[in-house]
Amino acid sequence: MSFDTLVFYLLAALTVFAALRVITARNPVHAALFLVLAFFSTAGIWMLLEAEFLAITLVLVYVGAVMVLFLFVVMMLDINLVQLREGFWRWFPFGVVLAAIMVFEMVWVLGSRQTVETGAQVAKHAADYSNTKELGRLIYTEYVYPFELAAVVLLVAIVAAIALSLRHRRDSKSQDVAKQVAVRREDRVRIVSVPSGKKAGPGIED
Amino acid sequence: MMELLQAIEQMGQSLLGVAWVPVWTLVKIVAIVAPLMIGIAYLTLAERKVIGYMQVRIGPNRVGYYGLLQPLADGIKLMFKEIIIPTGSNRFLFVVAPVLALMPALAAWAVVPFADGMVLANVNAGLLYILAMTSLGVYGIIIAGWASNSKYAFLGAMRSAAQIVSYEIAMGFALVCVLMAAQSMNLGDIVHGQQGKAGLFGWYFIPLFPMFLVYLIAGVAETNRAPFDMAEGESEIVAGFHVEYSGMAFALFFLAEYANMILIAALTSIMFLGGWLPPFDVAPFNWLPGLFWMLAKMSFVLFLFLWFRATFPRYRYDQLMRLGWKVFIPLTLIWVVVVGAWMQTRFWLW
Amino acid sequence: MCSRNKGPADGLASPSAQTMLENYFPVFVFILVGLAFGCAPIFLGWLIAPNRPDSEKLSPFECGFEAFEDARMKFDVRFYLIAIIFILFDLEIAFLFPWAVIFKDIVSSEAMRLFGFIEMMIFIGILVLGYVYAWARGALDWE
Repeated sequence: MSFDTLVFYLLAALTVFAALRVITARNPVHAALFLVLAFFSTAGIWMLLEAEFLAITLVLVYVGAVMVLFLFVVMMLDINLVQLREGFWRWFPFGVVLAAIMVFEMVWVLGSRQTVETGAQVAKHAADYSNTKELGRLIYTEYVYPFELAAVVLLVAIVAAIALSLRHRRDSKSQDVAKQVAVRREDRVRIVSVPSGKKAGPGIED
Repeated sequence: MMELLQAIEQMGQSLLGVAWVPVWTLVKIVAIVAPLMIGIAYLTLAERKVIGYMQVRIGPNRVGYYGLLQPLADGIKLMFKEIIIPTGSNRFLFVVAPVLALMPALAAWAVVPFADGMVLANVNAGLLYILAMTSLGVYGIIIAGWASNSKYAFLGAMRSAAQIVSYEIAMGFALVCVLMAAQSMNLGDIVHGQQGKAGLFGWYFIPLFPMFLVYLIAGVAETNRAPFDMAEGESEIVAGFHVEYSGMAFALFFLAEYANMILIAALTSIMFLGGWLPPFDVAPFNWLPGLFWMLAKMSFVLFLFLWFRATFPRYRYDQLMRLGWKVFIPLTLIWVVVVGAWMQTRFWLW
Repeated sequence: MCSRNKGPADGLASPSAQTMLENYFPVFVFILVGLAFGCAPIFLGWLIAPNRPDSEKLSPFECGFEAFEDARMKFDVRFYLIAIIFILFDLEIAFLFPWAVIFKDIVSSEAMRLFGFIEMMIFIGILVLGYVYAWARGALDWE
């Protein structure tokens, strides 16, 4: 067994273990952290396939961004655990059927003759091989339309996220910086000419 | 020197066979981590000295000559302090959080070149790897804040996470400009791209000057340093996410913060200040080894960090968010477009 | 992993690795060392530091009085919004990275000269629409 294979089995075992803990952990924060571990070891497996750009992007986007949002949500919402587990047995058969379909699909794809023939060996690349450049060359020349569509999808996501979750607080006392900067002397200071000396007010010592 | 290293390698390979590779890798990692730890120790001393002199004090001067043993004394003191795990906290996560804060701060150093060819892992996606590693640093903080089960810690952690996340975008866009100029994500190649007859004028801080500033300021914000230290804000939320930490657990957060500072300094030097290149490629300058110039540039950037802390008052949180989202992001996006257009013309000289 | 050629100017650098993957081996080791290096001081502290807990010492910091409620409270929705917008911009950066790396390559061929530039301007333009929307709705303000 080569070193690569050993690392693969190590990471694969770690991924499966972490994924199992995601659904069995009682504390939702623990579950989210196990999902982080699962992503991390998956990134390791992708790295073994020499997909360095995708592997590191998986860490950057999923671990560094998506899971941070998950943790925010899980940590700050009062999730009632008992309530969460209430419907478990009612939905259990449905989940089993869904899982069975997914397993069937995976076996079907992986087991088909074509995949076995084409996906048998991963070519080893030299040290100066840049996965990112290869990917860039394809995305930005041949697959331009899907790439621009990705921008549209992201735009829709931004608009949807803001439309769904933006609430303005009525009690906020925030300052408008532009207004503060634009303020002029005349708006704040009023010079009043007070006649002096003629008629002193009362209460002045004599 | 080179011959000696080669001789060691050959001897090791014949002696240990397959096991030699991991052993030699470990030796190299120690050769990076040990000086880094000494650097962190003396950065804390330098911080207290520099800020001291800026405030017309003399800083620590009792332990050892000129206070030189002060960091050692601090370390030993922390080692003998009790690690308090508060009631109601999540014990496991409470202990794991500082480890998670330190791990990415150290692991990012794997791809940093200190001189020409002097790098542990010469990977192609170096810059992307560093961006990914720095984005992991936020976990230590969030988990620490949550696991402590203390309001101040939680508030500090949330503030800090939102802050780090906001400045990471500006940082990422600034890196895109560097990539466009260098056409490579390999940190060594980025320095090679700045090499040329023009010396100092070939470095990227000239065409990418706004990005240099954005990266530096975002770096200060990413490391939660003053004036962006709302996460700690000792006058309002009593040190924020690590309020419940003591002893060595606290020391780990401290190490992580300073390791991140030095990392930002190293990256700024590599990407904008020509890394190990001398400012002029003529006689007195290029006698000195590349490592010297690299360290000199890093020290300069670190001095800026300390100078900022001594000079600027703390930002308010809404000002901080405004700077990150409404000033830096438009600025970096515009500069991506400018560099893209500029590179099409004859006036792109880099 | 074991048979390697030696280049002349190696120094501290990894010996000229034969495959891309071998370059990542030190990174893998460094991550493990980073974890170990984090655990060691905690273990050391646990080993030699005193451990004399009492209930006052172990109570969370709360300005001198007992905590009223659990510290894990509901938070402003703004934090989620920031996190969501961050994910979207992070993805945008992930798209920009490979483009930036091959920008010169695309532009250098005469047929693709403006193509490589304009495709990204369209991409950035579409996303700037989203950014402008966020700004106009006040999603980027921190009240």
